[in-house]
Amino acid sequence: MADRNIIEIRNLTKIYDLGAIQVPALNGLNFEIEEGSYTAIMGPSGSGKSTLLNILGCLDRPTAGAYILGNDDVAHMSDKELSGVRGARIGFIFQSYNLIQQLNVIENIHVPLFYQGKDISDYYDHCEKLAQKVGLGDRLDHRPMELSGGQQQRVAVARSLVNEPLMLLADEPTGNLDSTTEQEILDILDELHAEGRTLVVVTHDDAVAERASRVIHLKDGQVDKDIRKQDSDRKSENQFQEA
Amino acid sequence: MPGFSILRLIQVGFRSLRLHKLRSALTMLGMIIGVWAVILLVAIGEGASREAQEAIKALGAQNVIIRSIKPISDKVQLQGEMQWESIYGLKNSDAVRIEKTVPGVKRVLPILRHRKNVTHEQRDKDCQLIGTFPHYPQFTQSRLVAGQFLNEMEEARKENACVLTMSLAGFLFPGKNPLGQEVIVRGRESHQIFRVKGILEERADSEKLPQQADATGHTILANVYIPLSTFKALYGIKDIDLSVGSISVNTVELSEIRVEFGSVDEVVPALPLIREALDKVRKDKIDYEIQVPINELNALKAQKARDTWLLMLIACISLLVGGIGIMNIMLATVTERTQEIGVRRALGATQIDISVQFLVETLILCLIGGTIGVLGGCGNAAFFHYILDHTTIVTEWSVVVAFGLAVGVGLTFGLYPAWSAARLDPIEALRHS
Repeated sequence: MADRNIIEIRNLTKIYDLGAIQVPALNGLNFEIEEGSYTAIMGPSGSGKSTLLNILGCLDRPTAGAYILGNDDVAHMSDKELSGVRGARIGFIFQSYNLIQQLNVIENIHVPLFYQGKDISDYYDHCEKLAQKVGLGDRLDHRPMELSGGQQQRVAVARSLVNEPLMLLADEPTGNLDSTTEQEILDILDELHAEGRTLVVVTHDDAVAERASRVIHLKDGQVDKDIRKQDSDRKSENQFQEA
Repeated sequence: MPGFSILRLIQVGFRSLRLHKLRSALTMLGMIIGVWAVILLVAIGEGASREAQEAIKALGAQNVIIRSIKPISDKVQLQGEMQWESIYGLKNSDAVRIEKTVPGVKRVLPILRHRKNVTHEQRDKDCQLIGTFPHYPQFTQSRLVAGQFLNEMEEARKENACVLTMSLAGFLFPGKNPLGQEVIVRGRESHQIFRVKGILEERADSEKLPQQADATGHTILANVYIPLSTFKALYGIKDIDLSVGSISVNTVELSEIRVEFGSVDEVVPALPLIREALDKVRKDKIDYEIQVPINELNALKAQKARDTWLLMLIACISLLVGGIGIMNIMLATVTERTQEIGVRRALGATQIDISVQFLVETLILCLIGGTIGVLGGCGNAAFFHYILDHTTIVTEWSVVVAFGLAVGVGLTFGLYPAWSAARLDPIEALRHS
């Protein structure tokens, strides 16, 4: 089980058609992501990082190639099907938290359930446990405005977990946070990894990438470097940092 | 949409609208005013129309009313420059001829009216003295409150018996039973004593009609009914008017002839025959007018149908304006909440989910606005009716139409903003700030 691939990317190509010119953003990417792995995707701007994030998040479709998420090729699904895939298989964590302002903490966690057509009253305990897990068990009825950035991002993490997705997809999850809060969020991500969840983090921040067990560097729409770290390496690094 | 929870949607819709209370309230205002105005206007129009219809019905749909009118420049100068006499109007023979020659006529009622001062002890009142036949109450659908109306014997014997209208009886005999009492009718030559034998309540509606007013244009509720034969014996048919400084004498045999037909259908075909019967003995002068309540009623109904369409048109326009206001605000809301739309899309919302969300919000605005409008319109109509004493009738159809239009307009004008929200590219929407 440990080596089962959650994601298989085959010859993934994305070309933006701007009418007069065609801009290639991804040029035949190939990689797999295993279940339970923690992968960071890095690269300078213009490397195709954002395009890949959008395709991995099923927000956009590739021009060519295959994207197998779970057991299905989602590369050429309809908008409606992709909506279903996003809600059921992907847990998004955004840079700017993206909580819905008019809903309180617990209601924000409910949102993905709602779009899966699930009866929220059956999941109330489940959502409350998630809120407790991210340390917000006592703030269920607070509005996002009443929370700090770190707290909002914790709610977003809880929300990303509510549908038990195949993968958590984080886009610069600590980009808007100060360094102390950043460590807290990264610690939570570490915990989730330790639980066996699959994490993909798109970032340009080395401190974030450091936590991952694998770093894929993109350059000009292709995989430039694919570095796999041993768990022992990470531990020693962490110990080194702590010391 | 599997397991779609409309309740939840409505709840979330309310939340979003509460976020901008003032804006939501202002948006609803167009809808509120539109619905309110429709219901109130229809209620006022309906009330006025119903009142007029009742008044016309009180004259009797199967009746025709012929009145004496004074022809222009038909004066005969009497001794000296300041005295004039006019001889015109309907005659007893006219009434008899109509009854005999016009088919379908059930009966006729002659009426003669003069202004007289009536007193009892220290109280006096300017009244309308009415000479008529015993079947007056049945003819005019007036109700006898106490005692009896005049009878055939009093008519034959020219007795000094009278019947008073209720308000006059109350004025002349405060706190007393007027039956069997006497009133004095003052005349130029002599004062006459009449015995009160009954009290009549005129149909209130018919008294409000301007046609019921006397020669001076005042509506008089103070009526004294006496036998027509008595009237003629005591006062003759000359009515002397001193009001303009000169003396003018109007010699009119009958003020009015009411003709009752067996059925409503016989009224209109008989009108030319009535004219023929009257014109036969007249040269060129026209000294009568014919009022046909059934024609007036039909004209009023036709008028009302036109008014109703006009009101509907105004209603549609005002609701259209309200709808455009709502669409405008919802489009602004979609722009403002672009990021939220992106987030919801990322969390699994389909395009239909998004459009339904915005449609529900628009519908909530319209439903609340419509409900407030209905309550306001009905309340306002009730206020007019009960507090200001201005007849209004709230009709079911106006409530249904106004509310239905409000919701229909909401749906129609909500579609475009909902669609524009749904077709947003999730990536672009997420990036929007």
